Amino acid sequence: MNALYWWLLLAFLLFCIGAFGVLARRNIILVVMSLEIMLNAVNIALVAIANFRGGARGAGTLFALFIIVLAAAEVTVGLAIVIANYRNRSTVQTDTYDELKG
Amino acid sequence: MPGGDFHPWFFVVVAAWVLVCALGVVLFKKIMYSAVSMVFCFLGVAFAYALLNAPLVAIIQILVYVGAISVVIIFAIMLTEVQHGGYELFFNRQTAVAAAAALIGAAVLAIVSLSADIGPIGDKSLTPGLRPLSKLIFDRYVLPFELVSLVLVAAMIGAIVLSTRERER
Repeated sequence: MNALYWWLLLAFLLFCIGAFGVLARRNIILVVMSLEIMLNAVNIALVAIANFRGGARGAGTLFALFIIVLAAAEVTVGLAIVIANYRNRSTVQTDTYDELKG
Repeated sequence: MPGGDFHPWFFVVVAAWVLVCALGVVLFKKIMYSAVSMVFCFLGVAFAYALLNAPLVAIIQILVYVGAISVVIIFAIMLTEVQHGGYELFFNRQTAVAAAAALIGAAVLAIVSLSADIGPIGDKSLTPGLRPLSKLIFDRYVLPFELVSLVLVAAMIGAIVLSTRERER
């Protein structure tokens, strides 16, 4: 088995853990943290494939950098929304956000 | 073995570190423990990048994730923490379903991509060095680079607008 597959396996396991956190945790800040873990897993897969395959003149490594920057933007806006919501509702539990429930 | 001139045990240690810390993030009962575990998880991912011959990505990872994002998240935790109880209900009711969905998703991903034909894979590292990578950023990908900075500025302004209190007139 090529070494690339070991790195991909690591990325998949990390992605699985992050997805579990997004689906199962109640605290919305923990959901954001699990999302970050999922993005990191994607980045590991990207950097690993760019390292072993090297297609497109190393653009894979570059896209990993772009993803890191976009993740920073995402977490900034996400946590601002969480804090604005907390100011109105005094809660960060996801199952209390049920205004749209039919 | 995996990816460069290092002993395979380095990979095993880094992988175990990252996975254990990620499990800590998901499973710790106190959210502050989760945050600290997340910082160590990001650090382990930076080591993974270093093992993959991408030192620039590793350094940016430490600067942005370990430095900036962790601080923002810890601040958000301190601003919103629920003081009285609430910790015993730390999972949603659909924990088992979530675990099953995540496991099935990971299995599908693994099967699909491990059986896909990715083409010839060498054992030699093909990550570009710092100089060609910088040339790539400022030559071929200069438009995405500028767009990303625009997105970052927009996100900053948006966060300020969202999180400032509205004054009554």
